[in-house]
Amino acid sequence: MSCDTKFVHLAWQRSEGELAGVRYPMGSDPKGELARAFGVYDEDTGLALRGTFIINPEGVLLNAEVNFYNIGRNIDELMRKLKANMYVARKTDEACPSKWKDDGDATLRPSAKMVGRVHEALQGESG
Amino acid sequence: MSVARLGAKVPPFELEAYLPESQDFGTVSSSTLQGEKKWIILFFYPADFTFV
Repeated sequence: MSCDTKFVHLAWQRSEGELAGVRYPMGSDPKGELARAFGVYDEDTGLALRGTFIINPEGVLLNAEVNFYNIGRNIDELMRKLKANMYVARKTDEACPSKWKDDGDATLRPSAKMVGRVHEALQGESG
Repeated sequence: MSVARLGAKVPPFELEAYLPESQDFGTVSSSTLQGEKKWIILFFYPADFTFV
């Protein structure tokens, strides 16, 4: 999504080689309404900041990441966060620690016993 | 439109869009996507024909 019109999206997707594989809808937000609703509209420039938001099938916002203009977002990290959110939606008693990347990686099962003992729990899981 | 907050349902939205798969214009609506039980990633960026 950007504040460009759908016409510019068409022109850009057709001319930029980096976008040749794009299959997802390219949304147009020229009044900045959706960008404002997600807190990423820059009133000084009339443009949207680099914000990424993950929403579950029930419509709940589960993740937000916003970068300023010159820093791109890492897609591996985005996929990691999407997969982690999908995982914990199924396994509601588990948490995905920072090194978790995909199904099968070590998770934590938070409990009173683990308070102050996360180090031991992580050693145990990977041992 | 009300403001989105983590942990809360996002305000319903509908946008015009360019759809590369059909090479046509269309609309994207949160209610349709939720009806299809899909996860949604909203990816905002400043402007077409720019760089990063």
